[in-house]
Amino acid sequence: MLATSTKFGLAVFLGLVCCAATGAQSVDPSMLLNPPADSWPTHHGDYSGQRHSKLSQITPANVHQITLAWAFQTNQTQDIKASPILVNGVIFITTPDNLWAIDARNARQLWKYTYPKNTGFHIGHRGVAVYRDSVIMTTPDAHLLALDARDGSVKWNTVMADSKRGYWSSNAPLLIRNHVIAGISGDFDNLPGVLKSFDPDTGKVQWTFNSTPPAGTPGSISGGATGGQMWMTGTYDPSLNLLYVGTGNPTPVLNGAARPGDNRWTCSIVALNPDTGKLAWGFQPSPHDTHDWDAVEVPILVDAVFEGAQRKLLLQASRNGYFFVLDRTDGKSLLTAPFAAVNWSTGTDREGRPIPNPDKEPHRDGRLVAPYEGGGTNYRSPSFDPASGLLVVSAVDGFGLYFFKQEHGAYGWAGADYDVWAKSFLRAIDYKTGKVRWSHEIGEGATAGVLTTDAGLAFTGDAAGSALALRTSDGTTLWHSKIGRMANSPISYQLDGRQYILMAAGSSLYAWTLPLGPETSAAKP
Amino acid sequence: MRTLGIVALLLAAPPEFAQQGPAGRGGPAPGQSPASQRPPATTVPQSYSASQIQAGESRFVSECGFCHGRDAQGGESGPDLTRSSLVAEDVRGDKIGPVILSGRPDKGMPALALPAADVAAMVAFIHDEKSKAESAAGGRRSVDLSDLETGNVEAGKRYFSGDGGCIKCHMLSGSFATSFATVGARFQGLALLQRMLNPSRGPRAGPSLPAVTITLASGQKVTGKLAYRDEFTITLIDSDGWTRSWPAAEVKIESEDPLQAHFEQLGRYTDEEIHDVFVFLQTLR
Repeated sequence: MLATSTKFGLAVFLGLVCCAATGAQSVDPSMLLNPPADSWPTHHGDYSGQRHSKLSQITPANVHQITLAWAFQTNQTQDIKASPILVNGVIFITTPDNLWAIDARNARQLWKYTYPKNTGFHIGHRGVAVYRDSVIMTTPDAHLLALDARDGSVKWNTVMADSKRGYWSSNAPLLIRNHVIAGISGDFDNLPGVLKSFDPDTGKVQWTFNSTPPAGTPGSISGGATGGQMWMTGTYDPSLNLLYVGTGNPTPVLNGAARPGDNRWTCSIVALNPDTGKLAWGFQPSPHDTHDWDAVEVPILVDAVFEGAQRKLLLQASRNGYFFVLDRTDGKSLLTAPFAAVNWSTGTDREGRPIPNPDKEPHRDGRLVAPYEGGGTNYRSPSFDPASGLLVVSAVDGFGLYFFKQEHGAYGWAGADYDVWAKSFLRAIDYKTGKVRWSHEIGEGATAGVLTTDAGLAFTGDAAGSALALRTSDGTTLWHSKIGRMANSPISYQLDGRQYILMAAGSSLYAWTLPLGPETSAAKP
Repeated sequence: MRTLGIVALLLAAPPEFAQQGPAGRGGPAPGQSPASQRPPATTVPQSYSASQIQAGESRFVSECGFCHGRDAQGGESGPDLTRSSLVAEDVRGDKIGPVILSGRPDKGMPALALPAADVAAMVAFIHDEKSKAESAAGGRRSVDLSDLETGNVEAGKRYFSGDGGCIKCHMLSGSFATSFATVGARFQGLALLQRMLNPSRGPRAGPSLPAVTITLASGQKVTGKLAYRDEFTITLIDSDGWTRSWPAAEVKIESEDPLQAHFEQLGRYTDEEIHDVFVFLQTLR
């Protein structure tokens, strides 16, 4: 649980006293259990994955007044896709191979680190983890680095996986106590899915979890499938001591005949013990996937009433177009409902899993399938608003043509698919019913995640390059600014008595806040 | 509710504005789909040193490999470059180089600010992969014309005139029929199938911006070609060729996307009906 606004005021006050007296503190892992208002210390903001801020200085009534406090330009061509991380008044932001440390007060660059040229895919980078005086980042060639957060010098550099075999990484690691947990990508090749935990002080491997066994392992539960890469940052429930991570599609990707059965644990949500990497339970949103629909989307942890009883819930709006509610103590399904155009399932099985229609598997003559390959949603972070019970998610109604014939083989992609048509929306799903409460069209193409706040605002961006603030309860636009296409998920924090909304468009970072005035004085945080 | 109004209005904006210019400017020739035929032959044979190709491979894989594939034959979202006519017509980077340096931002391809030597090395690698693909049989992501011909012509004709409702717009005789009556001659294979499902995707005969009329607050009406539309702005190209924009909330917009019926049909088609209509369209030549 996050603190109330009163506690926030106190935390800010204490923070000022402590820092004036002793300087910035190294980041203790326990900080992530209850992040102070002047921080965004982990990818999702906290362990729940809700990407919801308790701050409420910027409201539906005054959001039209927000103004640019500063912009930070990387002066590079690569888009910023990372979630910024803020601790000790320092913002850490990344693109592949690059990490900037920026003064949150004025956007001055404190230092920059550039990783040597390498051949891993430079498709995007999702940000860093912080641990004591270290900032920890993955690299395109599947290394994990720890840098000194104060000056950017390298503390250790370890190999997560062999990039020559086709592994790469864009992952923002998750810190849980003395474990830094990092995921790897690699579905261009038939490779087993790998998640690893490292000692944040030394970079030594603590455990490895394989979602699928190495190719050719006899008698495996994956049915011969490889893949199931865990390339998105997971979530964590301290009371159950369980780490929740989504796994990616099986390989070969479009050739389902080569890997009969459900292909566990691909396209799954897995619950792991973060101390050992041992599987507690798994749930499979897409059994026997043949459409590249990773189930890596954020597994959001919510404690709330469901069908009359207080429950420990896990919510996921999955790439396959379905929204799932699970009991996160045991992974049992509570609700399955579509939130985007879907035509690939014949119904729901007893475990709450959509049943794939074999006629919608890729075929020699082509099959028209919804969602298309990009999915009903994807890596774009959704946001859960506790007050309204709405999960606000960047959704796509899309259709694609899927082909597979024996000549396409059984290695890597093994098939062909072509997007036919798509339209993008921001959709608000009622977690209790799975019904879409409102749908706000954002054009063709979707790249931005969502941040909701306690004031009842949802911040995101549309396909035309406008940053948006919507009223969370009904999706009405209250503010917009055409800063360019947003490719990350916004964050919020409070510094010196002012709430900031931080978002990236293109290769720049923008910090929005209310103009100085009675609402923004430090005396009234 | 206002958001529903936005949905209705935005549906009026055809998605083709996300497409890159008219086909033929480096793109595949009208009627051809890169995936359904042999790669176009390189027009001017070129040779590159092994070291330059190798240097190009490492740059290409890291910057381009995710979308275009490590072998340039197509990846997660980008096209197969070995079947690109732009690559076939390129001579030592004169066509590929500008695309690398400028990107295609409207299609999601970022510009890459790379030194000339890196661009040249990438060009060498792409040409080398293209020669390899030309000598290899089949294609990793190929779709052949014969793969698609599983439908029934008579059933397709019945669907076209009956349940599908296609005939409401596509009369098979009369003045509009003149171009549609030869659609099977102008498009083949995957290109015909893609165009049938979404006429604004795939190879296009030419740009066609729909006409739209808006009424300003003053009551004045302006008619032009719809050039752009988002939640906040509408842009027309007027009869003099000037681009004019208004805040969308301050004008009344009358337009109807002529392709709307195609998009609605995507949720109704069975795969059998799609293939029946496809083979029926092949007979229109």
